[in-house]
Amino acid sequence: MAENEANKTPARPACCAAPDGGKAPLGAMFLRSFFLQAAWNYERFQNFGFCFALEPALRRFYPDPERLKEARRRHLQIVNTQPYMASFVLGNVARLEESAAAAADPAPALKSMAGVKQALATSFAAIGDRIFWGRLKPMTAEICLLVWAAGGFYGWLFPEMDAPVSVWLLMAGPLAGILVYSAVSVYTRWRGLEAGYRCGGSPNCALDAANWPRHIKLLSAAGFVMALALAMISFGVLAGASCLSCSPGRAALKIALPVAVLGLHRLCRAAGKSVFFAVGVVLAASLLVFSIFGVEPFRLYL
Amino acid sequence: MTSLLRTLLSSALAGLLGLDTVQAGQVLLSRPAFVGPLLGWLNGCPAEGARIGILLELIYMDFIPVGGVVPPNGTAAAAVGVLAYSAGGLAPSLAFFAGMLAGVAYSPVEYRLRAARSEWNAVVERELSAGTLTLRRWLARAMIIENAALGGYVLAWTFLCAAVGLLPRIWALYPATDFAYSLMPWLGLCGLYFRFRTQAYKKNG
Repeated sequence: MAENEANKTPARPACCAAPDGGKAPLGAMFLRSFFLQAAWNYERFQNFGFCFALEPALRRFYPDPERLKEARRRHLQIVNTQPYMASFVLGNVARLEESAAAAADPAPALKSMAGVKQALATSFAAIGDRIFWGRLKPMTAEICLLVWAAGGFYGWLFPEMDAPVSVWLLMAGPLAGILVYSAVSVYTRWRGLEAGYRCGGSPNCALDAANWPRHIKLLSAAGFVMALALAMISFGVLAGASCLSCSPGRAALKIALPVAVLGLHRLCRAAGKSVFFAVGVVLAASLLVFSIFGVEPFRLYL
Repeated sequence: MTSLLRTLLSSALAGLLGLDTVQAGQVLLSRPAFVGPLLGWLNGCPAEGARIGILLELIYMDFIPVGGVVPPNGTAAAAVGVLAYSAGGLAPSLAFFAGMLAGVAYSPVEYRLRAARSEWNAVVERELSAGTLTLRRWLARAMIIENAALGGYVLAWTFLCAAVGLLPRIWALYPATDFAYSLMPWLGLCGLYFRFRTQAYKKNG
């Protein structure tokens, strides 16, 4: 019986005794994870930052300098994932390193580590790109514009508008977006580290930490509702301002121009061109009409 | 505070905020929607800064930094846009387009900085073998270089814009740039609307 117990939990070699129970210092890793991409490079992507973030755990698990050196070398190899979701991978790898450090024969744990790390990095990158870059980031602009609209600032929509506006309102818009975004991203970093560390070791660890497809759908819907609200507000303000300030014919022209821009945007998309192409077309046409043909300049709005 | 000193400080601040794009934090303090009003405030034109910033944000939203792609730099764009107007003396519309161009033109610079860091891997491996590796030093070096590059880039563009502002008959461009500038919010809104519309109607989210 005693022999069986000994087989199940192999004794930790003297060199590898973890001084305080072996728990990874998640707080230090969390703070360091903010510098994950500090030395991003094309050869090994996030390797410097990943190793830097993992270092507190490695130092704790490997008091022996030679084993620590080998561990650092392992994590200076290629790694690339979405920066906020990287914490899931970090937590998982910290757990794997802890197991390897504690095992009499670390070879099996080390053998699977590279594969697990790669699999998780790829999976979490796919999720993170869709949540953060694809949805939350554009939503910060929507939040900013909605805050400005609530405060009565439409100067962004009508460049000719010179109504006085409070600096606090101007700063409140982007800061509101940043607060929402940061709350989610910082929480994800911490939660990912915890979840990854808790279930570390398998190539699908923490992938079920949240209902990702549901979150993605909800964010898409929320983003669409806000975009719709912004479009309605913008066209409403434009129509109101145009109808009040000029004849019906001119008002129709003023409303037709944004619709033409919309058409141009869709045409560019259909042709696979970027938004810069549309900007170039608008700028070139304006230069041709107003600066070369010398058509009398007019104010489009207000 | 003189205009030159304000420009220098604003460029340095832009360099610092630019670190948030990729290297440190990534809490979106580097986005043009924030950099525009902030630098506008420091340079006495918060509303114009906010306008330039949010329009650049809407236009640049099309580019997503996935898979090592270097998108146009929003921080450089907003900083150049605001400083070209406040210090360079360009009309806001021309300053906006100058900023947009500056942001796009920063991508090759960023690419070279990233490529140059690839060579660090061999040196770091050697330091690791020798037992002298301090990763913190390498990360700090990368951030200082990036900060200096972006700050210097913004300053250089501001001087360039100031020089353009001195060209004779530059004002002849303003009716055209003003008109094009007035259509930019609508182009940005189209991008925003269709981005989410496409996502919301996707069957698999």
